[in-house]
Amino acid sequence: MHRHMTKHPVLWSVAAAFLLGALLVAGLYTKLSTPLPESALPAGYRPDIENGRTMYHAGGCISCHRGRGAAVEWPAGGRPLMIPGGTLVPPNITPDPETGIGKWRPVDFVNAMKRGLGPGGIHYIPAFPYTSYAWMRTEDVLDLFAYLQSLPAVRNPVERKPFRLGRFALAFWKWLALPPSGFRPVPGKSATWNRGAYLVLGPGHCAECHTPRNSIMLLDRSRWLTGGRHPAEPKASVPSLRGLVRRGRYKDAEDLYNALKYGEAMGYEDLSAGGMGEVQENLSRLPNADLKAIAEYLVSLE
Amino acid sequence: MKKKILAAGIAAGIAAFSTAAMADAVTDRQAAMKEAKQNFKPLVGMVKGKVPFDAATVKKNAMAIAAALEKAKKLFPEGSEKGEKDSRAKPEIWMMKAEFDAAFDKAVKLAKALEGVNDANALKGAVMALGGDGCKACHKQFRLPKKK
Repeated sequence: MHRHMTKHPVLWSVAAAFLLGALLVAGLYTKLSTPLPESALPAGYRPDIENGRTMYHAGGCISCHRGRGAAVEWPAGGRPLMIPGGTLVPPNITPDPETGIGKWRPVDFVNAMKRGLGPGGIHYIPAFPYTSYAWMRTEDVLDLFAYLQSLPAVRNPVERKPFRLGRFALAFWKWLALPPSGFRPVPGKSATWNRGAYLVLGPGHCAECHTPRNSIMLLDRSRWLTGGRHPAEPKASVPSLRGLVRRGRYKDAEDLYNALKYGEAMGYEDLSAGGMGEVQENLSRLPNADLKAIAEYLVSLE
Repeated sequence: MKKKILAAGIAAGIAAFSTAAMADAVTDRQAAMKEAKQNFKPLVGMVKGKVPFDAATVKKNAMAIAAALEKAKKLFPEGSEKGEKDSRAKPEIWMMKAEFDAAFDKAVKLAKALEGVNDANALKGAVMALGGDGCKACHKQFRLPKKK
């Protein structure tokens, strides 16, 4: 065996390269699957539940995590959600210790939101839009966690599907898809504009549907917010959020603010179909200043 | 042989007629819904304070909205969305026809409630009830978003 291999240096090189490659992949996978430690959180942080509520409505958590029956107002999960390539059942994120996230530590929640990692290092399917939430300030994520923990605990077991091989590949997709840093305010722009940009980019995760994706489902950053395919309706598309005033969709920032605040109740008929009705209802619960910030930022996009 | 040709002719005629009828249903209901929208807009303008309140206009427009909705409700024959590029009707309409009809009836009821509004303070609530619990509630469930 040994003599045979020494006669074939090419074979040896191929074997060595293969081994090295496998080690690199395994090393990278381990790195991508290792959660943030507790020490990564801001020390002694006291969460602000009211701000957590704002994050909850900005993210529209209820739209996917809505419970059934008596739990319809709470994010107890269990309603199948259509995603490209199948259906997914969103989990229970109320503080029930057995079937919800009652036993989670704050760091578990930060790992879920900003790294797409569940307890035990499982890689979440990106229908849960952590690729946007990763832009969020850790403090806002901790506030959201505190708000969720303040909701009534609903006992509702939601079956989790094992998806081992897919999730292995997903680790590498996430490596490409996760943003390189948190949100940084753009200098020279107003505080309101930056607040709007943050809410749109991070918690609001507008880009997940309003930006086209490339062949491996990564958001095309060169066509940011120019519209995309509808995630559940093959016969429909998601409109561009650029040039909203120039294209005559809204008169100005105030008009867009009214549209987001009242939706079709005030005749803004484009904000009802395709899931946007729920988005608008969630957004209408934001503090007015935040909703105005979102409108100011969006109408500035040309 | 002649009989067969005649039968085939009649079948083709019926098929062509029903396809045309389906296309007509789509065009007609879109026209009716558009009429409802055109009559709703000035009322929203009144709520926003851009148009002065006028009880006679409210009554006239609300009656026109109710009539247009009642007309549109009858223009959703089964299968009429198929092959119609412009139709934004979701198949759920026919999967849950009773719920769809009830949603339409509710919108008509809210439009009729608007007919009797004769002061500016009551207008906002009545307009938003029609827009929110009427138009929006139904569109959320039964209408497709636009195709670019």
